[in-house]
Amino acid sequence: MKIEDVVCPFCGCLCDDLVVEVEGTRVVSVENGCTLASEKFMGDHRLKSPIRRAGKRWEETSYNEAIRETAEILCDADRPLLYGWSGTHGEAQSIGIHLAELLGALVDNTSTVCHGPSIMAIQEVGHPGCTLGQVKNRADVIVYWGTNPIDAHPRHMSRYTTFADGFFLKEAFRDRKVIVVDVRKTESANIADEFVKIQPGGDYAVLSALRAIVMGKRGIIPLSVSGVSREQLFRVAALLLSAKFGAIFFGLGLTMSPGKYKNIRNAIELTEELNRHTKYTISPMRGHWNVYGSNEVFTWISGYPYAVDFARGIAFYNPGETTSVDVLRRKECDACLVVASDPGAHFPKACAEHLAQIPTIQIDPHTNATTHLSRIQIPVAVTGIDAEGTAYRMDGVPIRTRMLFKGNYPSDTEILERLYALVKEAKGL
Amino acid sequence: MKFLLNTGRTIKQGSYVERKNSTAYRQEATSLHMHPVDMMDLEIEEESHVRVESDYGVVVMKVYPALWISQGEVFVCLGPYANHLVSPETHCTGMPDFKGMIVQITPTTEPLVTVAALMEQCGGIQYED
Repeated sequence: MKIEDVVCPFCGCLCDDLVVEVEGTRVVSVENGCTLASEKFMGDHRLKSPIRRAGKRWEETSYNEAIRETAEILCDADRPLLYGWSGTHGEAQSIGIHLAELLGALVDNTSTVCHGPSIMAIQEVGHPGCTLGQVKNRADVIVYWGTNPIDAHPRHMSRYTTFADGFFLKEAFRDRKVIVVDVRKTESANIADEFVKIQPGGDYAVLSALRAIVMGKRGIIPLSVSGVSREQLFRVAALLLSAKFGAIFFGLGLTMSPGKYKNIRNAIELTEELNRHTKYTISPMRGHWNVYGSNEVFTWISGYPYAVDFARGIAFYNPGETTSVDVLRRKECDACLVVASDPGAHFPKACAEHLAQIPTIQIDPHTNATTHLSRIQIPVAVTGIDAEGTAYRMDGVPIRTRMLFKGNYPSDTEILERLYALVKEAKGL
Repeated sequence: MKFLLNTGRTIKQGSYVERKNSTAYRQEATSLHMHPVDMMDLEIEEESHVRVESDYGVVVMKVYPALWISQGEVFVCLGPYANHLVSPETHCTGMPDFKGMIVQITPTTEPLVTVAALMEQCGGIQYED
């Protein structure tokens, strides 16, 4: 059976034009998708049943037993951490926040190690953003700063920017100018009209130089700024100012580099300065397909987008203190529930070591690095394949993902609802 | 020799991301890209094993030449191997220094380790499915 207009649950682009062929409980072909989408849909590497650690070996267990043991661990903990959430649907994320409130737990999503600094900057100076549809139809200058869409968001250029014809851009490839700024010459840099290679850690200085030029202060620019010549900075500034509508996209090259959220603040303030001359927007290239959704769901329930601590009985947020890496680094939490992410692979070693020391439970369809650190893993359906739910695209547009077939696994929502009910009962509520 | 370590997404890493215990993922996540002139200085060839060490951990990787990276810098895709070297300090931002760690690289004959073995070094117990 061929299913049209399928939404891809891999990256923040949430491409919604895939054609997927299903036979029974397997996807057998994917049309229109990128390599990442094909691997996601065609992959068949699920954990077969719940597993638990018994001493130094692993054994299979039942869903009932795994959920019961998880509830006991979480109820016994003084400082539980509920981490992940970006790889599941909004309905499951919502239960996660309510579970955290019930437990007095700390709840955090994967923004903490991707665009958390972007959110901190946006909280300081705002977010002049727009939907990807506006970019596709209007933007004649595109900037990719510290991001490599060809590898990380493979269809971003073909659906929204470089290769996508729009209402006001009939021949996008010729009409749009693309600037790529990076510390290395990526595949994306190879197709840019202007590639700006900066020294590692030099983003803040280059952004400041461009702001100065746009403000008309060319005379104060030195011969070279973080490896970028003054002539190229003048050329890039002129290109930026030539836009009728410009769109800046930035990635982890800014959020993870020295300066962190101050880099993003500077980029937003460059956007603000450009808006005194023409129209510009700026947006983060969100990685996980529903990481934006985790920020939305966290915010509408708790008031904060990530790193929310319910230990005081109210929601408290302070990046650097209530963020997962810091809590694990300080060896503060005494139990961890990981949902739809892999901190074992994506956190520093010291954090992985603490996850191995405490009872860590993982709810995830696949075995991964965190599996080896866990005490229990509960396999679930993959949202967008054998479970449905709401996700948010990187520009904040909510999209309903579909269930392509009814499989044998429960969804994240079903598992978390049962867990919530057990914890509520244990708390006598 | 000392190098500046940069990490980031690659399409292969993304493709194998849900098969982290596979050989293909390990192959990609242990691939260290280095400028050929630096490889010459270290007297190593393509696919040589190197010991990569920071103040926070040590891991063995396999070297590949890359002209798209500057001398003095190396690139490894994000994942458990690169993160074995990363400081957990976040400078009050919640975000560790995933890009820009200083590492010491020396040639070695030590073997690559699996993701499961790496996690066991962190105190975990290997699960084999």
